[in-house]
Amino acid sequence: MWLLKNIPNRELILFFVITSLIFSLFSSTFRSAGNVENILIGFSHLGILAIGQALPILMRGIDLSVGSILALVGMVMFDCYIIFHMPGYVVLPIAIAVGTMAGVINGILITRFRIQPFITTLATMAAYRGLTYAISGRQLVPESATQAIDDNLLGLFDEFSGIFPYSFFLLLIVLAAAQYILSRTRIGLDLYSIGGNPEAARLCGIKVDKMIIISYGFSGFCAALAAIVMVSRMTTSTENLGIGIELTAITAAVIGGISLQGGIGNAIGPVIGAFLMGVILVGLTLTGISTYAQPVITGVILIAAVSYDRYKYYKLRSKNSAGESA
Amino acid sequence: MTILLSARNLTKKYGSLTALNNASLELRAGEVRSLVGANGAGKSTLIKILTGAIDANQGKVLLDGVPLKLGDPTTMLEAGIGCIYQHSNLVPALSVLDNIYLGRQPVLSFSRLDRKKQRAEAEELLLKYSLKLDLDAIVSTLPTVRQKEVEIAKALALNAKVLLMDEPTAWLSHTEVNNLFTTVRNLQASGVGIIYISHMLDELYAICDSVTILRDGNIVEDCAISDLTRQELLEKFIGKTLAQAATKTNQHAQKEHVPEDVILRCENLSKKGEFDDISFDLAKGEILCITGLIGSKRTELMHTIFGSNSLDSGRIFLEGAEYENRSPANAIKHQIGFVPEDRHRDGLMMQANIQDNLLMVSHDKIAKFGIVNQIKVDQRVSKQIKQLNITPADPNKIVSKLSGGNQQKVLIGKWLELHPKVLILDEPTVGVDVGAKSEIYTLIRKLRDQGTAIIVVSSDMEEVMGIADRIMVMCSGKKQGIYNAASISQQKIIAYVGGEAQS
Repeated sequence: MWLLKNIPNRELILFFVITSLIFSLFSSTFRSAGNVENILIGFSHLGILAIGQALPILMRGIDLSVGSILALVGMVMFDCYIIFHMPGYVVLPIAIAVGTMAGVINGILITRFRIQPFITTLATMAAYRGLTYAISGRQLVPESATQAIDDNLLGLFDEFSGIFPYSFFLLLIVLAAAQYILSRTRIGLDLYSIGGNPEAARLCGIKVDKMIIISYGFSGFCAALAAIVMVSRMTTSTENLGIGIELTAITAAVIGGISLQGGIGNAIGPVIGAFLMGVILVGLTLTGISTYAQPVITGVILIAAVSYDRYKYYKLRSKNSAGESA
Repeated sequence: MTILLSARNLTKKYGSLTALNNASLELRAGEVRSLVGANGAGKSTLIKILTGAIDANQGKVLLDGVPLKLGDPTTMLEAGIGCIYQHSNLVPALSVLDNIYLGRQPVLSFSRLDRKKQRAEAEELLLKYSLKLDLDAIVSTLPTVRQKEVEIAKALALNAKVLLMDEPTAWLSHTEVNNLFTTVRNLQASGVGIIYISHMLDELYAICDSVTILRDGNIVEDCAISDLTRQELLEKFIGKTLAQAATKTNQHAQKEHVPEDVILRCENLSKKGEFDDISFDLAKGEILCITGLIGSKRTELMHTIFGSNSLDSGRIFLEGAEYENRSPANAIKHQIGFVPEDRHRDGLMMQANIQDNLLMVSHDKIAKFGIVNQIKVDQRVSKQIKQLNITPADPNKIVSKLSGGNQQKVLIGKWLELHPKVLILDEPTVGVDVGAKSEIYTLIRKLRDQGTAIIVVSSDMEEVMGIADRIMVMCSGKKQGIYNAASISQQKIIAYVGGEAQS
């Protein structure tokens, strides 16, 4: 019983299992191994993005620019490989550096100019997308548009080991690292402290600004990894890569129990959240529900998740006042 | 004993305003020194300099004879000056253990937490200062007094030699205050120097050795607390007239309860898990004080009458007609005003100015066809500011920059704009200095004399005995009884509050 009580996100896991079972009953395609592969390869990058998103939200912020960072990183990879003919092992570190830098810039803007994260990342969302068009090799060297990125290393994440795609292993590594940092290190505890009570954290000498920059940097880093996975699968990149994906990532993080009030949540939840969305979206498609209905469903899920977050928050608050009177 | 902390000639100016003028203060090991002063006397400025939140224009602070760099919180913390703020500075979702070491958990390589060391150190600390805390409890589940102890432990974990306590008892009940005092005495015995700020004179005389009195940014007195009588102490920091008003509270004329004048009648109000079978009535021009310990559900009852809390059974009558506690909007329509306990959370728009706050409930009175009449706005605002003596008398001043007393006056003023028939005040003087307190009392009495029916919820016995015409005592959601203030002693009330059966 004790063990059961201490499983994190147990309600979410239960919901995930039930949803999967229901779709399996209604669709034989859904329960096939091929479909499991599809969901794993189709949503691993979303899981990575959702983990990245978790950190800014934990600190009462939000990162709307991840979709644009993803496109920017994708385009940098395209340019480096197709136009400048760099080998994959050079392209990868460049891609990661670009994504992380874009995130760090978000963090610096937020802390230096004291702009709300929502506005800052809304602005950089537009700016990074614009930059992607500006550096687009597809526009600058039109004949490059038809060339594929066929490097072995860069194509790695489209390959499988058994039914598990490499991108899923990448997700597991990111998850393990993020969860370790959050639960076992000073950095993690500082993040929770700032999210839980920023003023208290500041008065305790926690470097609040530094931690904010780190969290947005991490979000950018994750966006870069997601870009690598996506480019790897498509063997190319476009200016429109990842449009709207920030909302899906935020939804996954919030479903995964990252509280918008800050300071509550872990890295596992967002990943389950991402795959839950995968199961629902793929399941609906396979049971024959129109693809046009899917954004509506994403919206409904987001509202439901946020309402549940608010509900938990109020329940906790009324429990606290009861605690005081005890 | 040796001098631990020495602040010398501190001066702080904000533009043309001198908040603190050439102030010096000394604290010895094992000394509890109280720092008193009215709103704006410079107490907060002095505390902020000592915690490093702000820099001083002049002067220095020495700890064990070593000068400290001012204006840097980390320096002050590391030197051993800890502060327990009036409002909680804990992270509610984290455990006690993590809160104690907030921002400086012991780490191994790669910033990995050293849980073992952290726990061992914390246990040693709790033992050393005789604090009893469950290290694994989540802070948000603890009662307020335990949370204060966590804050104390947090300060001590830094090896704090000096502890600043800013109104630590403001949110505590009587028994909790006693627990806290035990902790303070333990600290004192282990050589910690304490600067204790409170508006409760009882507390100062109970716990402090010496006193520093600030007035208008100057230190006007520095002596052993036993050298001053209460009256002298009050006079020193709020001036003679106000001091008389504050202590004269007990001799005010109580009004008889006139059954014909009843305006609000509550019959058998019950809500599961909160209060049970409560009946009382309230007449025009009387002050009914509702008292009880924290957890006696007084506040919940008031919220129910105001419509911000629901009701399971029971009826409320207003001016003879049955009244439905549907919503606060409905209460306001019926001219019931409610000054809530937590003014930061429920009462004021902290980032808005005095004017906007004052007019918050009376928007329809200042607007015609939805257009705000600026002349009416100015008239009303300047009238309230003058009537309530809000300082500074500037309608555009942001409320969060005002002292606690002035914030409270703005909050009360907001409801006066409604010309309430019934005004409910929940703990109207918590976190308010003695000067502003007596002003608020005078105001409440004036409203009563004008015919307003007033309910004051208060835990402060002196306050209850001072302003009540009748007193209702509640204990864990039940009515203990209603008494005429003129015919009952404070001792009896205290006994009833504790739940003793009445004879």
